Amino acid sequence: MNSMRMMKAVVRGGGPLPGVDQFALARVVEGSRNLICLPGMSKRKRPELAASGAALTEHEKTLYSLIRSKQDMGIWSKDLKQEAKIPDNAAMKALKSLISKGLVKEVVNVHFKARKHCMAAEFEPSAEITGGPWYNQGSLDTEFIDIMKDQCLRLICKLGVATVDMVADEIKRSRILKADYQVQQIGEIVKALALDNDIVEVKSTGIGEFASIQPGKSCYKCLRLPGASKEPSKVVAMASVPCGVCPHLRECTPGGIISPTTCDYFTKWLDF
Amino acid sequence: MVSQNGIKYAVHIVSTNFGDLVAKVCECLLRRGPLTYQNIARSTEISLPQVKNCLLLLIQHNCVQAFSLEPAGDAADLSKPINTKYIALFDNIIHRTRFSKFIAVVSEELDKECVELFQGLLQHGRLSLKKMIDRAKSGRDDCAVEDTIRGNLAKLLDSRFVERCPAGEAVLSPPAEEGTGARKRGAKSSKIVAKSITIEERILDAAAPMEAKRFLFTTDADCKKTSENSSEVLGGEKRKYDSLESERETSADDSHVPWRVNFEEFLHRFRHKACVENVRERLDGGAAIALSAMLEATRSMEKKVKSDKTVPLSINTIYEEVMKKEAGRSMTLDHLRASLALLGCERGSNDLYMIDLKAIIKHAQTEEVEAIVLKRYGRDAYRIFRLLMKTGRLQETDKISGTAFVDKKETPKILYHLWKDEFLHMEKVIVTTPRQLQFLLWKVNRSTLWPHLLDEMYHTALNLCQRVAYELEQENEILNLPPHKRVGPLEERFTRLRNVRMLLDASLMRLDDALMLFHDF
Repeated sequence: MNSMRMMKAVVRGGGPLPGVDQFALARVVEGSRNLICLPGMSKRKRPELAASGAALTEHEKTLYSLIRSKQDMGIWSKDLKQEAKIPDNAAMKALKSLISKGLVKEVVNVHFKARKHCMAAEFEPSAEITGGPWYNQGSLDTEFIDIMKDQCLRLICKLGVATVDMVADEIKRSRILKADYQVQQIGEIVKALALDNDIVEVKSTGIGEFASIQPGKSCYKCLRLPGASKEPSKVVAMASVPCGVCPHLRECTPGGIISPTTCDYFTKWLDF
Repeated sequence: MVSQNGIKYAVHIVSTNFGDLVAKVCECLLRRGPLTYQNIARSTEISLPQVKNCLLLLIQHNCVQAFSLEPAGDAADLSKPINTKYIALFDNIIHRTRFSKFIAVVSEELDKECVELFQGLLQHGRLSLKKMIDRAKSGRDDCAVEDTIRGNLAKLLDSRFVERCPAGEAVLSPPAEEGTGARKRGAKSSKIVAKSITIEERILDAAAPMEAKRFLFTTDADCKKTSENSSEVLGGEKRKYDSLESERETSADDSHVPWRVNFEEFLHRFRHKACVENVRERLDGGAAIALSAMLEATRSMEKKVKSDKTVPLSINTIYEEVMKKEAGRSMTLDHLRASLALLGCERGSNDLYMIDLKAIIKHAQTEEVEAIVLKRYGRDAYRIFRLLMKTGRLQETDKISGTAFVDKKETPKILYHLWKDEFLHMEKVIVTTPRQLQFLLWKVNRSTLWPHLLDEMYHTALNLCQRVAYELEQENEILNLPPHKRVGPLEERFTRLRNVRMLLDASLMRLDDALMLFHDF
């Protein structure tokens, strides 16, 4: 349905790349089935079908011009019927015909996945409709994001300390992925890694390990090694006790229906 | 204001230490605030002599402080009876669970005899030198013992582990004259204008001995017997320490001056340790050594526990301190400079370095809260929460979803859960043009979330204590068996109980660290 969503990111040929885990590469190839072409979200103008205009019925013409006027935002089929003021049955028939003629396509609206959302075939849905570059068919492409995160984490660990630009350059230079990724998109992935607490943002001091980075610039250091468990290694106080994660803590009272002496979570925890 | 679960936890501690009657008096004071002794009797329906005994016990163990308001100036007012009121000292009650931690600190620094003396002070709340000597002699007439005790007390005072007890009854100046009459300790006086201090702080300030006398103790006194029966320093005593006394008088008085454990010193040390450990984990060993050296060099200069920044120091002073520790000897001056830069050290105009301790504590608190969010709500919620913690301002749902890489459909559900459990603050914004749209904005509100979590921590601590008591009660029969009779399944039950106890105690100990992190640091 969407020709732009075909596999674009593939590993280029050639020998093993320095500093890149071959196992990870294999995963990239495997995961690349779901990869999307991030930078190429531009509209592709299709030549108008000269004959199709003549072959359209009145209803079809009305609907088609309405749909085209919405450009890359498209329109919900129910709104379409209302705005066109065409009876339901006739509108449905005309819409089906337009789709079969390849003039109109259905797209998934990330906000309302169940709704039938129509768009003129020559437009690519806007980020508002698709959810942006990280969405595929209305859902967050977590598998792809995880692969990207993993690659970025590996590169940051390899570099020791790195800015977003350095990570983007390294990705470009190592040519792991065929498609070009903008620095902004790599930045988004790196920020997500920082939110995961896998890396930490530090300000360059310009000395020691930061010698190659301009002082004051934001850079990232590795906290979790790639492949290591995502569970935090630090022992925390509250979260390591059943009460710290108990949904019924508020109702828990000594001698009450829920109480520390009769608590099942406690019993399970203390089962030696 | 102490939270509800905080009060319950404190009452539980008093109850296990001193029994239910004392706990009832303490609860009454914690819930209702300062009261006269007649009013306590009225509220608790306990007889006056019993209330008196309970109060004496609580004062002896530093859990209650007596105070009265200074009459408003006129001589005529002197005819009016002075109403002594009593206030429960919540922090000191909670400190009772930390005695083992205090002993560990003292054991690291001082010898066994000092530790024994220190334990005696913990056990009795307050002791005069005479009492300490009597305990050590246990009936024997031995001058050497007296000298040893004097020496050990001097060592404990020198390390600031022990301090002179506050005045038995603090006299507060009337509110109109606030700030002129009451004595203030150290930097607190400068904060009066900026922040209104609580009645508890005012009372503690008024009762505190003068800073110069707080750790003052003369050791050159001869070994002399004092046959007179020393009156135990309790609520009734109105000893004032601020008047200047001659050296001779001080020396003569020393045997009756009551001493107690200085909890504040331990909080200083625990806070420093928490900061150093946090830096070690987050940054590196070098940064931890640098911070530790700075704190070590300026410990005696630190005025209050919750100091925002370290005392400014020159790089040479820090380097000298670093060299004192074995771990720091391999550090070069350049390495130290890099570590200080990594710590985000602020450099004043005169090239002195200081570190923002408050920021480190804030970071440690945030880590604890984030760990709770991760465990309770999962990784997506963890990312969202960390994002909101980092930005610190209102963020719109879609924006959150985009930055935190959480599905647009899932994000509102997660945010709602976090909001329902008081982790987030939410604001609705309705835009009417061109069509009506509703946006939801979210942020982390530390000022409400932190006290809420602290209350949950007190609740959890109480639950752990109660579970320990329950487990011990259940296996009472096995505990009473002599070891040789514990065989087969009985031995298994005993081993299980030991493991349960160890896990619960260790968890309680860790939780107490978190309580200090949120309440005392």
